[in-house]
Amino acid sequence: MTTALRTHLLTKNYGQLTALDSFDLEVDQGAIFGLLGPNGAGKTTLIRILTTLMRQSSGEAFIQGLDTRVNGREIRALIGVVSQENSLDRYLTARENLELHARLHGMQANLYRRRIDELLELMGLAGRQKDFPDSFSGGMQRRLVVTRALVHEPRVLFLDEPTTGLDPQARRAVWDYVRSIAGSMTIFLTTHYLEEAEQLCDRIAIMDHGRLIAQGTTQELKERLSGGTVYEIEFDDEIERYAVLLKGMACVLDMSVSGRMIHVGLESWECLSEVVSALHGAPVRRISLRERTLEDVFISLTGAGVRE
Amino acid sequence: MRFLGSLAIWRRDMLVLRRSILSELVAVVAYPLTIYLAFGIGMKGYIGLVEGVPYSMFIAPGLITMTAVNAAYSESVWSLWFHRRVQFTIESYRVTPVSVSEIVVAKILSGFTHGLVKGVTVALVIFAITPFRFEPVNLLAYMAFLLPGSALFSCAGIICGTIMDKPETIGKVEAVFIMPLIFMSGLFFPLSSYPAPIVPWIKAFPTTALFEGARQALTSGGFPVGSALQVTVTALLTFVAAVLIFRWKMAE
Repeated sequence: MTTALRTHLLTKNYGQLTALDSFDLEVDQGAIFGLLGPNGAGKTTLIRILTTLMRQSSGEAFIQGLDTRVNGREIRALIGVVSQENSLDRYLTARENLELHARLHGMQANLYRRRIDELLELMGLAGRQKDFPDSFSGGMQRRLVVTRALVHEPRVLFLDEPTTGLDPQARRAVWDYVRSIAGSMTIFLTTHYLEEAEQLCDRIAIMDHGRLIAQGTTQELKERLSGGTVYEIEFDDEIERYAVLLKGMACVLDMSVSGRMIHVGLESWECLSEVVSALHGAPVRRISLRERTLEDVFISLTGAGVRE
Repeated sequence: MRFLGSLAIWRRDMLVLRRSILSELVAVVAYPLTIYLAFGIGMKGYIGLVEGVPYSMFIAPGLITMTAVNAAYSESVWSLWFHRRVQFTIESYRVTPVSVSEIVVAKILSGFTHGLVKGVTVALVIFAITPFRFEPVNLLAYMAFLLPGSALFSCAGIICGTIMDKPETIGKVEAVFIMPLIFMSGLFFPLSSYPAPIVPWIKAFPTTALFEGARQALTSGGFPVGSALQVTVTALLTFVAAVLIFRWKMAE
């Protein structure tokens, strides 16, 4: 499989602050790649360099084999960008917004008219094409921004927090559109919603303080956490006594107590029978398996503290 | 540099202007017309002749020129600020194959076109309500001032709209620099009214060259080459500065 996007020792400094620190990344052609990180991790800086809006301090970045430092115009012809802000022109109708974008890409009128008709239909905006974006709901505005990024048939689509501020229905609608276009182009997505990354992405990278700290499929990332097996055991009584007992067992990797519930992370599922034997006669009301979530992985890698 | 991107953005700006042309023109005509009525008609009995012509005739060419350059400045400064800071459309232009220079050129062209349309409108209103007339052939010489003059103010607008992040700062610059530059350049009174030692300094302003030269060109058909060159060279230098400053700001 060929590479759509590659960075090598990519670094960006703002004075004393290092926003990106020797960042190495490769994204395969046609993949949906998710980039996660807390506020200030360097995600937006990375996207701005990859979309040629900003120059790196050192290192290299390539889009479809083109160097961001010298092939800016060629790269911008190949990419579509959905930025965090809607950036729609409120003085133009939905269709005029798309036509302006097509002209900026140098498309011929006979080509872009047909393409815009198709996209408006696909995105469910055909009936509102003569309306101004201010009269659209947040979800529709977001769909229009995604539509605009697709007009010139980009090879790589950058989605910078595409569903921030949307209600759950609108968010799921955007996910459906992203899934519907997957495969025809490489999609590079940043998001704060871990569920979004889990739902959409083939591979996920987690970054913090400008550095790449983990990368893999959702499953691979989850397996990095204590074998990936967590059980919740609810007791009727004597919880402290059994907490001490469980903590002393060799196969229990981590443990926490909340109310009448003890959460135990086991080395593997085979350890469960050992735990059940140890709890013989205990007032256990329920034992249930809790899958590790991507959020568990994210918090364990980046910490639980709130970032400014 | 390609001009397709500039053309696309200019077409966008013209579409928006066309949609709001009536309200734009009413607003733009109101200001110079009020000045004309207040000074040109209200004060003419007190002022009499200025440099051999009635006061209302003296200020008419300057008001037309002022409307054009003011409109060029306002369109450029507010449009650039709004697209950069409020609507983020500049960002959406910059992720297309269009270069930063093409965006600047487009905004200068848009400011210039606004100036031309609004200047012509004010001229038509002044012709309709006053006996101010000129030889049509004088328009050629007048254009040699109006074109670089509008471009100069448009570029100044680009610079202000690029470096100023707060709208109130833009208003302050207009009040402290732009309006004094216009008003002190012989628009409402002859330069001979200044104390003699100050006159060379006032003449050094490109706005003085613009307003004095434009008046001379329109009323008598004269063409002061030095003034025309001064306005043109300043416009070119301001254009280069506008492109460099916009590039620098975008690279931040």
